Amino acid sequence: MDFVLLVSRLQFAMTAFFHFVFVPLTLGLSTLSAIMLTLHYATGKEIYRDMAKFWSKLFAINFALGVATGLVHEFEFGMNWSVYSRFVGDIFGAPLAIEGLLAFFMESTFMGVFLFGWDKVPKAVHLLAAWLSSIGSNLSALWILIANGWMQHPVGAKVEMAAAGKRAVLSDWWAVVFNPVADVKFWHTATAGMVLSAIFVLSVSAYHLLRKQNVEFFKKSAYIALIFGFIASVGEIVIGDIHAHEVAKTQPTKLAAMEALWETKQGAPVLLAAWADQKAQKNVVEIPLPIPGLLSFLATHDFNGKLLGAKDLQKKFEAQFGPGNYIPPVNFVFWAFHLMVYLGFFFVLLFIWGLAKYKDLENANGFLKVALYSLPLPYIACWLGWATAEVGRQPWIVYPLTDDYGKIKLAEIGLKTAQAVSPLTNVEVVITYILFALTFTGLAIADFYLLAKFATKGPEKEAELY
Amino acid sequence: MHFDLQTIWAILVTILIAGYIVTDGFDLGVGILHLFVAKNDIERRVNINAIGPVWDGNEVWFITAGGAAFAAFPELYAALFSSLYIALFVVLLALIYRAVSFEFRSKEESEGWKKFWDVSITVSSFVVALLIGVAIGNILAGLPIKNMAIEGNKLLGFVYAEKFPISFINLVNPFKFHGLYGLLVGITTVLFIVMHGISWLLWKTEGTIAERARSIGLKVWLPFVIMYVICTALAYNISFKVNNPELAQKYLQLPPDMFQQIASMLDSNGVLHHALFRFPAIELILIVLAALCAVGWLLAVRSVDGAKAFLFSTLTFLFAGFAVMFGAYPLAVPSSLGLEHSITIYNGASSQLTLTVMLIAAIIFTPIVIAYQAWVYKMFLFKISPESLRREIEEAAEH
Ligand code: HDD
Ligand code: HEM
Ligand code: HEM
Repeated sequence: MDFVLLVSRLQFAMTAFFHFVFVPLTLGLSTLSAIMLTLHYATGKEIYRDMAKFWSKLFAINFALGVATGLVHEFEFGMNWSVYSRFVGDIFGAPLAIEGLLAFFMESTFMGVFLFGWDKVPKAVHLLAAWLSSIGSNLSALWILIANGWMQHPVGAKVEMAAAGKRAVLSDWWAVVFNPVADVKFWHTATAGMVLSAIFVLSVSAYHLLRKQNVEFFKKSAYIALIFGFIASVGEIVIGDIHAHEVAKTQPTKLAAMEALWETKQGAPVLLAAWADQKAQKNVVEIPLPIPGLLSFLATHDFNGKLLGAKDLQKKFEAQFGPGNYIPPVNFVFWAFHLMVYLGFFFVLLFIWGLAKYKDLENANGFLKVALYSLPLPYIACWLGWATAEVGRQPWIVYPLTDDYGKIKLAEIGLKTAQAVSPLTNVEVVITYILFALTFTGLAIADFYLLAKFATKGPEKEAELY
Repeated sequence: MHFDLQTIWAILVTILIAGYIVTDGFDLGVGILHLFVAKNDIERRVNINAIGPVWDGNEVWFITAGGAAFAAFPELYAALFSSLYIALFVVLLALIYRAVSFEFRSKEESEGWKKFWDVSITVSSFVVALLIGVAIGNILAGLPIKNMAIEGNKLLGFVYAEKFPISFINLVNPFKFHGLYGLLVGITTVLFIVMHGISWLLWKTEGTIAERARSIGLKVWLPFVIMYVICTALAYNISFKVNNPELAQKYLQLPPDMFQQIASMLDSNGVLHHALFRFPAIELILIVLAALCAVGWLLAVRSVDGAKAFLFSTLTFLFAGFAVMFGAYPLAVPSSLGLEHSITIYNGASSQLTLTVMLIAAIIFTPIVIAYQAWVYKMFLFKISPESLRREIEEAAEH
């Protein structure tokens, strides 16, 4: 593979993964802190005030790096993917710009009021600011996912020749906004943020409860997290199912890789585990779930529904787009997807276990230990989700518009990742890749150190200042 | 000027960039001054708290300007960001360090830790200010870009003709006109940003920090004015060559009368002289207004009137900035290889539908954003000083 392309992909994936360490906690914890602040102003109890302060301090430390990595993310489109950017800018740029105007301003301006406004602004304003900042974060997720959803399923567009070459242009704005793929992506990602934050709060609380420090404080925090997390994690599975249904309709090659489905089948079963031989185009190991036709049912809502296998898809795409490899790496996508789903079920069980033990949580050592060590799992689930979505899309950066389980409706809009990269030199991409990698890693370590320091310290009386 | 969608968007993107320089500009200035106006720990904390609740919201102007350029002028966004690759990378790195420096600095007691982030605040703020100016200067003077569609490639768009490392070195190469101009505009921008930061410190703080800020302000004023005059004088000499008028007519996609007007200004060699001064009267008025506001700023700093100083530094930039935008119009990135390879606000723009949709969004949301940002500013415009900060820390501990 072309070196500039390879490094650009690695760099984009790295930025995305770093960004998504910080993003989901921002999404969920902003809501949780706002809930705690609401409880404080509603009941007048000091404990909720301390809670809002404690958790929002961790939130602020996390937030700074979310901003830093997000900034890089946005500018990397122009820097590393200039051909992509000029090809899709007419459509893709709009949600990014609106995200800034509608969401980022709201999020960061009111976050300033929330974090620094304690006792300085009226209570109602303070509470409003906390909620507006949380709504702003989630709106930003909505708009960025509208942009990302469009790359997966480029609706509302046509292709034309312009002064500097071929490009996609907008033909229907509302189709872009109400793109079904984008909308399920949003709900799935927003709930992922909630699940992750709930486990974050639960895990930090478990740490203190195991040491019997500030028992009342952390028991209450854990309780809020358990309820919030339980609802979100059930929602996550339901939306995840709808999501897979959309993928089946719009990105058949991705679905085939997610399910290691080589042959076209009616009544296809769900595989619990599989190992594929990509060259020979078949599975070496297959362990199906003993419910016949379940995959067909989940994907098409019909136990006898027909799903195209990777072999036929490869032929179909070759006939339409010329020679090339149109099937993403099956083992990678299969396992990324399946591990995410397994984790999704595990989280529901974890919350149920916690709720069952709630009365005597400080003495439920078994549960507390599992909760404590579960901290990395939702992060991993989020990464696996993105890996499924993005690697499963390859070799396309803009997937040719497809619907009805494999009917290609607008082939010209398809753009391959290999065509999309900027005309840069090897040296340039290597310099930026290495320096970003070092910077992100160093800052992430510093950030985790500070998070751990303040998380294990427990609630303290301090002024909200830099 | 034509009041079509492209022109409106050129003005809107200018407003967003101006919004960035006016808002984030002062906190960049406070950042550059960090090591110089605040000498001990408590003063440094005051200095950061002077911009604490607002700097992040200010930086969003940068992100939104980037997003708006992407949406309204995708060719411009793609060409510029990939051409200025390393320069932009350095800006991003500096913005990253700046963002985390504020957050990290006071979270650890060790002297070395604090020192590291203090230096990082000053250096990163300086680098951002300098490179933004360098980029603006280079773009105004023209960059070696090529429209690959002219050469028959249907996908690549506008591409930088030079390769790394020459491409990067030339951006600050004093022996190349665009590099020299970039350097000069860069230095001018840093001086302006420092002045704007001083305005804010005089407005928001009192005590030792404000005193030091004032005395630095009295020293940087003259260099700024001198640099501004030099940049303006050199701008008068910027010229571009048209190698092939037919290609220019076809690929620049200017409205016919606008193209005719420019064509009529070409000399017999096809050179467009005084490219940024095609309407000298308007240019001169804007430049004189900018200079007058700079004088107003000096008087306000003398009398320690922070609010007035802030108003004048803002106006100085707005007049100077709109003079630049007006001079460059309708070129977005002129090509030094031949004007026919340039990006204009027409051949670089999105479709009419996208521009319309975005315009509606901008008309609804920009005033709302400005309104609530102003409201938040008003809420946080109480004065702070080392004494007030010490009191606050003690009160919280007793609470
Ligand atoms: C589902 C959520 C989500 C996703 C998929 C992304 N982001 Fe993000 N982003 C956020 C959710 C978010 C956030 C939660 O709203 C952040 C995290 C911290 C913050 O400041 O806001 C944020 C911050 C953030 C910032 C800084 C904003 C500020 O200063 O306030 C930028 C410029 C971006 N992002 C840009 C991007 C780009 C270009 C992405 C994709 C290519 C992207 N984000 C994916
Ligand atoms: C923050 C969450 C995200 C993560 C973790 C993520 C992950 C990834 C990964 C792993 C790749 C590399 C795939 C490969 O090259 O094999 C990638 C590529 C890419 N993604 Fe995402 N992604 C995220 C969000 C987004 C969003 C929201 C967009 C669009 C706005 C987007 C656009 C792209 C583009 C343009 C590429 C580069 C081309 C490519 O390699 O496919 N990503 N992403
Ligand atoms: C049983 C539960 C789940 C199911 C059925 C499911 C389903 C899916 C599917 C089908 C995708 C791929 C979307 C695409 O390719 O475009 C996806 C992506 C993703 N998943 Fe899950 N998921 C589940 C649980 C989880 C959990 C627990 C998390 C995190 C806590 C998570 C986080 C993500 C993320 C961040 C993405 C990428 C963004 C997106 O495409 O929406 N998922 N999920």
